[in-house]
Amino acid sequence: MNSPISHLKAGIVGKIAHFTNDEIAGKLMTMGVLPGSKVQVVRIAPFRGGFYLKIDGINMVVRLQEASNIVLEVV
Amino acid sequence: MNTIALAGNPNSGKSSVFNQLTGLRQKVANFPGVTVEKKVGTLQLPDGEKVTVVDLPGAYSLYPTSGDEQVVLNVLTNPSDESYPEAIVYIADVTHLEKHLLLLTQIKDLGLPCLLALNMSDIAEKEGIRADVKQLTDFLKIPVVPVSGRMGTNIDMLKQAISMLLKEQKASQPFYTPNAEEQSVIERIQSGLEVENPYRALLLAHHFNKLPFLKKEEKQAISNICEEENFQDIRLQIAETMRRYDLFTPALQRSIFKENEKTTFTDRLDNILTHRFLAPLIFFAIMFLVFQAIFAWAEYPMEWIETGFASLGEFFKNTLPAGWFTNLLTEGILAGLGGILVFVPQIAILFLLITILEEVGYMARAVFIFDKLMQQFGLNGRSVVALISGGACAIPAIMSTRTIGNWKERLITILVTPFISCSARIPVYTVLIGFVVPSETVLGIFNLQGLAFMGLYLLGIAAALVSAYIFKIILKSGEPSWLMMQLPPYRLPSWRNVWHTIYEKVSAFVIEAGKVIMVISIILWALATFGPPGAMEKAENEAIATAQKEALDETTTADLIAAERIEASYAGHLGKIIEPAIEPLGFDWKIGIALITSFAAREVFVATMATIYSIGSSDDEATIHDRLAEARNPKTGAKVYTAATSLSLLIFYVFAMQCMSTLAVVKRETGGWKWPMIQFTFMSGLAYLGSLLVYQLMS
Repeated sequence: MNSPISHLKAGIVGKIAHFTNDEIAGKLMTMGVLPGSKVQVVRIAPFRGGFYLKIDGINMVVRLQEASNIVLEVV
Repeated sequence: MNTIALAGNPNSGKSSVFNQLTGLRQKVANFPGVTVEKKVGTLQLPDGEKVTVVDLPGAYSLYPTSGDEQVVLNVLTNPSDESYPEAIVYIADVTHLEKHLLLLTQIKDLGLPCLLALNMSDIAEKEGIRADVKQLTDFLKIPVVPVSGRMGTNIDMLKQAISMLLKEQKASQPFYTPNAEEQSVIERIQSGLEVENPYRALLLAHHFNKLPFLKKEEKQAISNICEEENFQDIRLQIAETMRRYDLFTPALQRSIFKENEKTTFTDRLDNILTHRFLAPLIFFAIMFLVFQAIFAWAEYPMEWIETGFASLGEFFKNTLPAGWFTNLLTEGILAGLGGILVFVPQIAILFLLITILEEVGYMARAVFIFDKLMQQFGLNGRSVVALISGGACAIPAIMSTRTIGNWKERLITILVTPFISCSARIPVYTVLIGFVVPSETVLGIFNLQGLAFMGLYLLGIAAALVSAYIFKIILKSGEPSWLMMQLPPYRLPSWRNVWHTIYEKVSAFVIEAGKVIMVISIILWALATFGPPGAMEKAENEAIATAQKEALDETTTADLIAAERIEASYAGHLGKIIEPAIEPLGFDWKIGIALITSFAAREVFVATMATIYSIGSSDDEATIHDRLAEARNPKTGAKVYTAATSLSLLIFYVFAMQCMSTLAVVKRETGGWKWPMIQFTFMSGLAYLGSLLVYQLMS
């Protein structure tokens, strides 16, 4: 099942399938967030104020807007 | 002297290595045309040669998305840039090497001699991560040195390697082979603009619009080539990035060995510290402790500085011949200097604690916790750090906003930070608060005055947030706002780094605020010392006559003379000129003088009031308070410092933009007088209206 991270609940694990915004993709890829990277949704701040992710072992936070442009293949 | 540059991602521990290589032989300046900090130091190599080390800002790639990254691109694609290095020392976090190599492969393609320093090798060892240095060297074809910037491990080996690198001057071999589409653009730019390096030509095609060193004709030429070749910027960028990862990821799997990942200490700590509901509570508890510590620890050193400067002034007064020069030295220069240095303890302690929180990794969590809330007010999670620093001094706080990538969010942060009550407001609050609330204890534990103090701080915070919200609505911005941030693992602070940061922040304050406060102190001294011809002598003679008639003792006479002189001086005249404007706020001309002198720095209010009320010889806040309490309006006989006037004055000091040094820094950070003028107008306007409202309602 593919789904943007913004639609997922905390605790879900998956692999990045693709991005839906080129600019955000460009930025995330320079930080080593790539299609195929392993993602765990660790925590979601109240009012979906921020997404605490663990990507290939690195802890990272993104906003709702970025999270909705990362599509995860949930395993 | 040869120049080398340190490059690497943010969080690669670059500054620790920089500090290890250069020690205290470093300077902070700005990269030309932008307010990105440029740290430059000197390194002595084992063979005695000295080289200049430039610490480039942290960057993920040569496709910039922030001011910091843009600087790295500007420097590395412009061989005539003053910071253009002979060689690059690339710093990478070996515990996440697969995320740190992208920029290195790009820099290699520019042909610069490089070496790779695998930083944090101490942590890697603890986490069971092993790097096969030989494999890496073979694959990357550049020297590889494992180091630890925090522990200082292998720094000598790194120096040796730098020495070799500079001697050999061997250009790096290209890493990435451009595809056909890129190749045709590269060739046309290479021949059309005489660019030697192919990757540099490709970067020019991607970024020509934003590169400050290109001439207009050059930009036009590149633009034409890109158009004719139908150059697809973002798509090619993504393809290039992907290709690079594809090239080095398999090689890394062969040369980096990790033990199975388990739940780390960081994850467990973050379960509490970034907990959905506990996190803000913990944050406020930490901040409460931080500010408690500042007040508790700064008191004594501040007293030493104050008494030190007082006795130094006395010493000069007694040893130097009396005259205007001695007067200038003691009342103008020394007083100004003392007024600057007295804040150093508070500022140093606040930045000690903030830097520790930053170093252990907590500040990044605070950014995450408050990002959503701050966005509601047009700010950014990173604004939290600036707003907290504003509790010590707005100057380093405003300079710390450079980490905010989005210009609108950064600008709003700069504009509202001075609303946060800084250390210079504390003496003013202390003197005035007694007139508004009695010193009583309520509910057993709370001191009423303490609560009022807290109220003033909260009022400042509220003013900052409300005005940020207004700016958010008014200001337009097409620039996208992002937050994609790594949370570094929690670790013990490196005391070397902490010390360096405190040193930097305190020097920023002493130098930036210092020069302005100094100049204004001297101007104010002149305004208060000189008056219209004859007026000063007349005032002095009258004061002496009064003193003789009433048989006053020496100190009281001196105080009386000082008070009469300041009334007759230009400062006194200015106070009387503005009196009609401030009368509706409940202020008289004496307060007017204090308001004017406060423009050097707010705390000058207390000293000015002491002089005006003939107690210049005392700088004790309790004495000043008592004296102010007796002050009466000569016409009506009513008390000057009623609760209404005092509260009005307090409100004025919470809101008003009375710090020239801050305005000067805002001018520099925003690149012109437009924003500091707007800031001055709205803050002082709010102060006037607030005071007017309070005074008219209460009296």
